[in-house]
Amino acid sequence: MKNMNMISISAITSGSTLLVVALTTTLLLSGCKNVPPMTSGIGSEQIAPGQKYSQYLQVHNAELSKKLHISDIRTRTHNDLLELNLSLTSTYEKTLKLQYQFTWFDKEGFVIEAGKSPWKPLNLHGMQTAIVPGLAPTPRVASYSLYVREIPEKFFRY
Amino acid sequence: MKNLILITGIALTLTLATGCTNKSVVRYGDATAVETTDINFGSTDLQKVAAEMTDSLLVSPVVGTLTANTRPILFVESIKNKTSEHIDTESITDSISTKLLRSGKFRFVDMDRVTAVRKQLDYQQSSGMVDPSKAMQFGKQVGAQYMLYGNLASIVKSNKDQSDVYYKFTLRLMDLQSGLVEWADETEIRKTKGKEFISW
Repeated sequence: MKNMNMISISAITSGSTLLVVALTTTLLLSGCKNVPPMTSGIGSEQIAPGQKYSQYLQVHNAELSKKLHISDIRTRTHNDLLELNLSLTSTYEKTLKLQYQFTWFDKEGFVIEAGKSPWKPLNLHGMQTAIVPGLAPTPRVASYSLYVREIPEKFFRY
Repeated sequence: MKNLILITGIALTLTLATGCTNKSVVRYGDATAVETTDINFGSTDLQKVAAEMTDSLLVSPVVGTLTANTRPILFVESIKNKTSEHIDTESITDSISTKLLRSGKFRFVDMDRVTAVRKQLDYQQSSGMVDPSKAMQFGKQVGAQYMLYGNLASIVKSNKDQSDVYYKFTLRLMDLQSGLVEWADETEIRKTKGKEFISW
């Protein structure tokens, strides 16, 4: 009888050790922590047509700037509206899932239709250069700024 | 031995109680940010379609000629929803007409509010409450010169791993006098949904 007890106790001990190890492993593997997505990107300060755009570029996300750069910005006035062509060049082999936004300013530097300019999605394939058009919403626009960032994907990682 | 079981029990309870639970959290989001919640027609698609159509209309050479000396008067007919989804196409036309109106190039008449206008004019003319010299007159409204109308169509395909949806939005501008289509354009959207291996 004593022997029987000894056996059952040792079985429980090894069982619970196993349980602890299993639980720890499961927790480590499946553990969850919500990592906030990276929402910074590359962009520009206010640029008026005719100004050299390269002096106004800003990099807020060094990781993205290794994969993507603004290679050209062209502007013209068409039907009284400022039209621009933004060239984005990828130096990355894989597809970049991006979103871009233009912001428009009047001649005093005040923002026009704040918050109404939508972020537009753009898939940039490996090493591709895409030309993205933008059009001022009203003839009052005198300068613009732009911003490009990756579409944040929420991953739950340990 | 008993201690070990007790400690495991407490640790497990603590983990379950404080650890990875799903808490519902309310946050304000960015109304203009790209939204990829699911594959259906979403806010990003609506904003993209409205912005591209407005831009295309405003830079077209025909519209440059039409709006050179005058602000043409438009009315929005409707966007036919030919997709398999329920989509509020009036919301798309609202966005497009608002953007066009704010560009200062066009003027609009709103056919959805004719009954309300008639009711108000009836009140002003026949209720006896309004000074006749200050009442708005019947028969003074300006007629639309152009009609804006279009279609939204979709092709949906899926297999067990992937779903793909393609939207095509067509918009046209018709001269009501001559019946000629003065401008037309279309924009496309493709969205795919598939399983992705996420690693860390």
